[in-house]
Parts: sequence; C-alpha cells; structure tokens
Amino acid sequence: MQRRSGKGTYQSPLPSSSDANAPRSHGDDHFSPNTASLVGTCPDMCPAKERAQRQRLRDLSVFERVDGNPKRTSPDLAVKKFCRTISTLDVQASDMRPLPVLQKTLDYLLSLLDSSPYPFEIVHDFVFDRTRSIRQDLSMQNIVNDQAIHMYEEMVKFHITSHRKLASCWSKPDVSSLCYLNMEQMMKCLLTLFDLYRINRKSIKKNEAEFHSLYVLLHLGCKIPKMGESLSLWYRQLSPSILRSEQMRFARTLLRYSQLGNFKHFFALLASEATDLQLCLAEPFLNEVRAQAILYINYAGYKLQPYPFTHLSKILMIKESDLETLCVECGLETSTDESGSKFLPAKQTSFCLPKAGFRTSSSLASEKV
Amino acid sequence: MAYLSMGEAHRRISSYLASFSDAIAAQDGGALKPLLAVSSSSSPCPLLGVADALVAFHDWPRLVNQSERFSNLGETIIPLLRSLQSYRLRRFADAYASYEKAANSFLQEFRNWETPWAMEAMQVVALEIRLLAEKADRELALNDKNPEKLQSAGSFLMKVFGALAGKGPKRVGALYVTCQLFKIYFKLGTVHLCRSVIRSIETARIFDFEEFPAKDKVTYMYYTGRLEVFNENFLAADQKLTYALTHCNSRSRTNLRMILKYLIPVKLSIGILPKMWLLEKYNLVEYADVVNALKRGDLQLLRRALQQHEDQFLRSGVYLVLEKLELQVYQRLVKKIYIIQKQKDPSKAHQIKLEVIVKALKWLEIDMDVDEVECIMSILIYKNLMKGYFAHKSKVVVLSKQDPFPKLNGKPVGS
Repeated sequence: MQRRSGKGTYQSPLPSSSDANAPRSHGDDHFSPNTASLVGTCPDMCPAKERAQRQRLRDLSVFERVDGNPKRTSPDLAVKKFCRTISTLDVQASDMRPLPVLQKTLDYLLSLLDSSPYPFEIVHDFVFDRTRSIRQDLSMQNIVNDQAIHMYEEMVKFHITSHRKLASCWSKPDVSSLCYLNMEQMMKCLLTLFDLYRINRKSIKKNEAEFHSLYVLLHLGCKIPKMGESLSLWYRQLSPSILRSEQMRFARTLLRYSQLGNFKHFFALLASEATDLQLCLAEPFLNEVRAQAILYINYAGYKLQPYPFTHLSKILMIKESDLETLCVECGLETSTDESGSKFLPAKQTSFCLPKAGFRTSSSLASEKV
Repeated sequence: MAYLSMGEAHRRISSYLASFSDAIAAQDGGALKPLLAVSSSSSPCPLLGVADALVAFHDWPRLVNQSERFSNLGETIIPLLRSLQSYRLRRFADAYASYEKAANSFLQEFRNWETPWAMEAMQVVALEIRLLAEKADRELALNDKNPEKLQSAGSFLMKVFGALAGKGPKRVGALYVTCQLFKIYFKLGTVHLCRSVIRSIETARIFDFEEFPAKDKVTYMYYTGRLEVFNENFLAADQKLTYALTHCNSRSRTNLRMILKYLIPVKLSIGILPKMWLLEKYNLVEYADVVNALKRGDLQLLRRALQQHEDQFLRSGVYLVLEKLELQVYQRLVKKIYIIQKQKDPSKAHQIKLEVIVKALKWLEIDMDVDEVECIMSILIYKNLMKGYFAHKSKVVVLSKQDPFPKLNGKPVGS
C-alpha cells in the first residue's frame, strides 16, 4: 500500500472542490485510481483463503475461535485482518468484500464492544485492527458514497469512545501506547471522512459540522499526534457554512478558552453546550485544563487566604475528593480547617505535572448529578 | 480575430522560429525570454501575432520539420507552439499539457548548457507553467473534472530545483523556483510540502543566502514569515516579515501591503501597535478596531472587530493570532482602572476590588461574574502581564507597588 508520501504526486479521478484541494492520502485510507473498477466478491467477513491460512498458522483472535479452539474458525466468526503490505497490483476480487458485506462486518464488530465478556482493551484491539481492514477495503474499491460516509462516522465514534475508556484504564500495561495508536487512527479516519464530505459536496451531510468540530476539539490536548497542519491553515479551506455552524463555533470558542486559560468559562460552556460526542472526546483532556487552573491559582493566590475546595470544585466541575487527588498528583498539599473543609494553600513551590498522565477520573461532575 | 492571409501567417511563424533558433545559437537569454511567455500572448505583444498565425495556418508543424535548422529544436518548439495555439483558442488544459512537454524538453537542454545564460528564460518557464496550470485547473473545475495541473506544475518545478541545486553558477536561480513552489503549495493548501525545499535552501552548504537576488530574498522571507505566523512562532515571524518589509522595493505598494497584512498581527502579539496613518496608507483598516481595542482596553470592541472581519481574518490565517490579543486587552483595562484609582487616592490604588472590574466590563457590555474575573486575574498574573496576587476571600486583587503592568518588550505573552 502506498505510504503517505511527502510529495503529493498521487492523482485521483474523482472530482474535488474547485479550489484544487485534492484529497491527500492518509495512510491506509488512500483512494487508488488504478483499482477504481475493482469490485469485491467475497461473501464473508473474512475471505476463505485467509481463513484457511490463519487456521493453519493458528493465527486466530479469541473472538474468532469456535468453542475456544485456536485452530478452528468459521465464516460467522472470522474477520479479515488489516494487511500493511498489500499492493494494489496483486489483489483479487475474491479477497475484497463488497459494500453490503463491509456494512455487515462493521455492525458485527461494533456489537462486540457492548456484549463481550473480555476486558475492554482486548475487545478494542480486535475492533481496532478489523475496522482498519474495513477502511482498507473501502478505499481500495474507491467506495465514496453516503454509506461510506456513515460507516466512517461510526468508526470515528468507536475511536472516540475507546479513547475515553482507555484513558481510564491507566493502571493496565501497554494502555498508553494503545491510546496513542488509537488517537492516530482517529485522526486518519476523521481526515478521510472530511475528504468524503468534500467529494460528496453537492449535498450537506447532517453530521458534517459536528464531525468537523471534533477535529478542533482534538487540539485541546497538548500531546495529540500532530498529523495535520496548524488549525489556522485548516480553517482556510473550510466552507463558510461549516465554519459558521453552531458546533464549530462552540468548538472554536471552547478551544480559545482553554488556550487563554479561562477555566471558569471553559467548564461552564462545556457543560451547557457540548453534544454527547463532543463531551466524550473532550473528557480525557479535562484534567489538563484543571491542572492548569490549579497552577494559576497556586501561583497568583494569596498565601493567607487558601482557596476553598467547595468553590473550586464547582468551577472545575470535579468532585471534591477527585480534586484532592488531582492536587496531590500535581505535587501540591491541601489544608483542612476546624470544620473539616478542604483548602488549597497558595504559593507552594512543588507544583509538577505528572509525566505519565493523570490517574484521577477526568469526567465532568455537574450539579445535576 | 482579423483575417490573416496564409502568406502573412507563414511569415510570422517563420520569423518566430528564426528568432528562437538565433537566440539559442547565440546563447542570448534576453532574446529567448519573451519567446517563452505564452500566457502574456493575450496582451499586446509580439506573441499575439504568432498565436493568430498558428490558429490560421493549421499545417505549421511542417514548417518546423522541413527545415533542418529548426527540426532539431522540434521537441521543445512544437509543443511550445501548440501550447500557444491552444492558449489563443482559450483551451487552457490543452495549453498546459503542451507547455509541460515543451518545458520538460527545455529543461533537458538547460541541464546540458554549462553556463547559466538561459537562467532568465528558465525562470520565465517556471512562472508560465504555474500561471498556465492555474488557468487549466480553473477550466477543469468548471467542467466538473479533477483539477490536477497545478500539482503537476509543482512536480515539474521540483525537477527544475533539482537541476539548479548544484555547485555551479546556476544555483542562484534556485530561490526564484522555490518562491514559485511556495505560491503553488499555498494555493493548493499543501503547505507542508514547503518544508523540504526550505530545508534544502537553509541547510545545504552549496547555497549562500546572501548570493541570491534581492527580489527573490524578499519573496522567500515573506512566505517563510507567513508559515511562522501559521505556526504562531511570533519572534521568527517578526524577524522574517520585517526583513521582507525593509528590503522590499519602496515603490511596490501592493507588496508592502501584503507584508504588512501579516506583520501587523505579529507586532500586536508582541505589544507593538502600528500608527493609524500606516493602516490608512496601506488600506489595512480592518485592523483599526483591533488596535483601538488594545489602546482602550475595550474587550467588546475587539470581539466585534473579530466578528465583523471573521471571514477575511480566517482566510488569511491571522484570526487565531488576533483572538489571543484578548489578554492584552484585559491588561489595559485593569491598568486604566488602576490609573483612575491612583488619581482619587494614591495610597489605596494598588488594591482593586473584583466588583469594580465586573462593573467596568458591564459598562463595556460584557457580562462576567466575579469568579470569571478572578480567573482572568490569575492568568494575567501567571503570564506576567500583571504583578501581584488575588485574595479569594476578600475578592480583591492586590498589585505590586513597583511596575505592576510589565510591558511585553517585544516578546509574546507568557514567554
């Protein structure tokens, strides 16, 4: 598969927008004009040839085994794996799954997320790889219609909910690399989705504004893999209707508050206007914003007037007990008065951001709870 | 098109062929240059006459092939003239395709000539290929086809760059080609591709930046300065755009305006305000309200200015830079309150009740509660825009008696 090259020499036969912004290849999601006429004929979630080979090599995931047997699978359980080294030249139609089969495969994979008894990281890993293969099949067959858009939207949602769940599994080994890889694929998936919206520009898609807002919200975290260009550049090629949409305005304003450090307005806005998906995406980043708030208050506060937790926890929308853990994680001490109320003393010199990320729960505690 | 006799058409084309051949034989770059400028054939100039002749006399390739003097230039000349002919007939995609063939053949010859006599001609080719690609893409997009000519032009120019990036005297032409590449990448939105050429120019030992022609250096600094603005590296952006400004031809108003359009937001970010006459002289009045907001500490004015010119600022990529000026506006507002208090009672001026700031903001039609004001105060203090501390229980901010509002001094906020 062609890797994302730096020279942009790939050409697509598909019409793109009139400002000559040709779709870029985003790794596996690469629309290849040479196989534009390739239509898959594989009727199962996994081609028979691959099934036989993996059975022989005992290369079956736990989800693919019949009765737990590592040497046996079936058409109902086996799902085609993502293949890094596929070249468009030796692909056969029988190895490719047509659109209806791909849809069935995606529905099956997403159903595993809620129903499986296995620990979440294991389910995630399987769905992660197999959805990547779905995207590969879609792009090699150049499927760019509304159904493809819907499928990509579902896959982005999967990565978002995974991100939130993985972020809370900090104690398990390898999770941080899973998190990073998940974020990377989320980005690729989003960027390809935007290309699909552009290709189908004749009609505005229902969720287009919301998904664009998600890309903005990804910039809340300072550690995200920088796969795209700067936001300023990205905004330049968006249509005015997307830029002015409610969801985009919300995301841009939220990002502005986070970058300025206006934590008060940040949490208030998030709680009042975020959609479920936006909130899900933003949640893992909330502790970074809170840590910054604590940093400012500690620096600028008055030594003789420690900051009360009751007040701070409301502004930062965090439970008092979690706020205490967060302060400790950042190397700060808390004080208690005669009535048992907790305070944050100012001017402590020991503030330090935890290197391995936050362990405190990052969720939004609103007064409604 | 006026009627052209076959005889006259024949004569014009032969004359062109002779000029071309003579220029190559005499290694006369100045004479060769205008013969390659296909896209300027629509304005009154010698090529227009030739173009008409090509359209009238369909069998013109015969003229090239039947004379030995011209036929060995055929690989360049025939596609070149075909391009001119298509351009005259306003068939831009075809004109581009032919020109690219001619350009490739010309580049091969160029590589073989040891001296840089044809440098100016090569630069004309570099310019033309971009201009033709832009027109071609516009035509393709209108016909619902994929606009990929500008991308091809970029690939071709990379080849030209490769031919110039050597130890010989041809290397001084490399910056011009780089600038054409920048224009292409900026137009296509594939700005990340600039990185590799920038790396070649700035780190390769064969290039000495000072050797390049002044005009090219200005253009180069303008584009690399803009890249720094996109990445919010304000000090580097200031340095590059200021270089472009000071070395730019003082009579070139359009270019000066383009540079100032990006330099002004950068200067604002490091606390330097332009005078109003500068904005008026170069018609950059979209920044007027922003500057006034900073002078007066008027947050509402800043927000309104951003809203009013939102599309323009987003398109040029300075919106996010201007947004961040909010902190400096807050600083100015608190400073004004401090000054007023100082006039009333100097001994108590350094203590400002948060309620007073809430009222001042309300007067500016901004609705903020005490908590949010306290939050802003903590940011201003942390980022060294204010010296002092805030007392939560007393709901007051206490400023340092010495230099409570440090100036930015040419550094961006918070550094």
